[in-house]
Amino acid sequence: MSESLRETLDLALLWEYRVVLLKGLTMTLGVFACAAVLAVAGGLVAALWRVSRFRVVRWVGTVHVEIARNSPDYIMVVWVHFVLPLLLGAIIRRRLEFDPFVSAVIALSYVYSGYFAETFRAGIEAVPRGQIEAGRGLGMSERKIMWRVILPQVVRRMLPESVNQFISLFKATSIVSLIAVPDLMYQVGIISAQVMRPMPLYTGAALVYFAVVLLCANLLGLLSNRWRNKVFA
Amino acid sequence: MAEIPTIRVTDLHKTFGALEVLRGISFDVQRGSVVSMVGASGSGKSTLLRCVNHLETATAGDVLIDGISLCFQEGKSAPRKPRSLAQINHMRRDLGMVFQQFNLWPHMTVLENVVEAPRHVRGMSRAQARDIARNCLERVHLADKSDVYPARLSGGQQQRVAIARALAMQPKVMLFDEATSSLDPELTDEVLAVMRDLARDGTTMIVVTHEMAFAREVSDHVMFLHNGLIEEQGLPSEVFERPQTERLRQFLNKAQRPR
Amino acid sequence: MGNWERLVWNQREAFLAGFQVTLQVCAVAFVGAILGGLLLCLVRVYVRPLRPVAVVLIEFFRATPILVQLLWVNYVWPELFGWPNTFFSAACVALAVQSSGYLAETFRGAIEAIPKGHLEAASSLGMPPWRAFLRIVMPQVLLDAAPSIGNQLTVIVKSSALVSVIAVPDLMFQSQKLVNKWYEPIEILTATAVIYILFIFLLSVTLTWLARAMRRRYGLTAL
Repeated sequence: MSESLRETLDLALLWEYRVVLLKGLTMTLGVFACAAVLAVAGGLVAALWRVSRFRVVRWVGTVHVEIARNSPDYIMVVWVHFVLPLLLGAIIRRRLEFDPFVSAVIALSYVYSGYFAETFRAGIEAVPRGQIEAGRGLGMSERKIMWRVILPQVVRRMLPESVNQFISLFKATSIVSLIAVPDLMYQVGIISAQVMRPMPLYTGAALVYFAVVLLCANLLGLLSNRWRNKVFA
Repeated sequence: MAEIPTIRVTDLHKTFGALEVLRGISFDVQRGSVVSMVGASGSGKSTLLRCVNHLETATAGDVLIDGISLCFQEGKSAPRKPRSLAQINHMRRDLGMVFQQFNLWPHMTVLENVVEAPRHVRGMSRAQARDIARNCLERVHLADKSDVYPARLSGGQQQRVAIARALAMQPKVMLFDEATSSLDPELTDEVLAVMRDLARDGTTMIVVTHEMAFAREVSDHVMFLHNGLIEEQGLPSEVFERPQTERLRQFLNKAQRPR
Repeated sequence: MGNWERLVWNQREAFLAGFQVTLQVCAVAFVGAILGGLLLCLVRVYVRPLRPVAVVLIEFFRATPILVQLLWVNYVWPELFGWPNTFFSAACVALAVQSSGYLAETFRGAIEAIPKGHLEAASSLGMPPWRAFLRIVMPQVLLDAAPSIGNQLTVIVKSSALVSVIAVPDLMFQSQKLVNKWYEPIEILTATAVIYILFIFLLSVTLTWLARAMRRRYGLTAL
């Protein structure tokens, strides 16, 4: 077993291919960044729909969120990449094909907008009623109350939970390798096929994700704590 | 020959870090008597009670239950070896503790809470344990709530169940650690009534309390603690009506101010 | 629309077979996740010398994506440990590994949330620590963690779609086989997606109801 152990931990192999792997990591981060922005925006919109005064709007929001939250990431990615272009193509009567990067971002941001929507909704509903009533008493419009009183608090209150969602999204980007987006896992797969040494490569990939997630989680946690304490301390 | 006191505390000291909370306390509790401990917050009353059933380990001094040391093993070697946890748990069967926070176990019904220790610590059969549990629940007037979960009961009811749970072990002494302090005023009376009944039945009790009227009515002996020492002690009529020290006078004044 | 009948309804045996495998993998992984999570948690809380090991493992399992874990368990573990030796067991282990990290932290939070007084009451009655752990701590931990445990089951089902990557014949694998056979992805993939989403939705609703019913029974209405 020690032979295998040495083979597994032979991270020199990773160093050898560092350029390619770094390119892959950059792509991973690119997918993550785009999907994160869209997911947060979409989640915010969906959350606002869910707490709307109009029942139809609430219902639409709920359906969107439930589909998003209950879909496996992989299924959504595959469906968006292989089915959606065909459906849209049928409508506009042209042959459509999505670039894998685009499919990946659309699919992941859709699914994770569902999770963010729930996080934001919980945050909105956690703001004490009295603050809203105070705003009304001062003659503020509902929209102003939402933007100046509620949302700032929601962001601060839900920051730790959101960090968890971002980490989940980052981990989920590994799936896009399966529709040929040249991210970290894709590059690992290619190298692994060339050199036939899966053990250090897959172990190394795991360690890279481990390091990035740990670093960011701790960093963001520190930052968000200090920010929260400024307001809620 | 005088009877061995059920509880004898000798020169008890307890230090938390740099703070000495108990500075040398000694007293006896005779069988069947009710001893009350009163004093300001921070005087060490709760710590003293918790040392009596070894929830806190005294830094110095000893607690004797019917003449047997709770803190140290038998033996002539000096210094004597402290008791092991297993030995302490064994001796705790004779001490019943009622906490300020009730501490009922929320995932068990009332009956299950009371049955647990007699069945699994004393090793009684299920039928025996249930009988005893039912009796104890009757004594606290809650037999009809046997199959209810604690979260559904009021504070006063929960505390009475806690008393029944301690009674079910048939202890030699019942220890009450501010049993009514976290109850709303309306609910305090039902618990005090149960405690009064127990005293009348001849239960040996040590009661740490803020309820002066109750202490005065029910105790055979009262101790006023201040800064980790017994400042004054004696019959209720002496302590409450003829305080000797200024501190006790101030304390009684504050305690009797209308709320 | 005739396509639906031809491509989906007529192939329902394949779909069913795949779904069955999916259920099997998820069930085994779920049990493994609970046991693994408990083990990691107990080691972390009670076995002081091994605490750093447990912490590192928990953080590692939580930080790595499921795809990476699947590939890692499937290709690296057999060489290192000689096990698992089938694709099916590798899938179960990887899914269990992913959830055990989260459950370990959930259990730890639940253990630390038990008021000290409950344990003091137990020791005041002369109960030895091991008994207090089994009768007082564990039941409350499981009750407290029930919603999270249910949530991890849905996570496992969602992640199970990936086990097709290591050649486990689950629902996704079967539908991909059909797509490759007929080159008509629309109906097949949409049907697959609908099956997954519907199943997970119903599962999640049932679990929420169960968790709420459990807590209602004990009179603990705060969720």
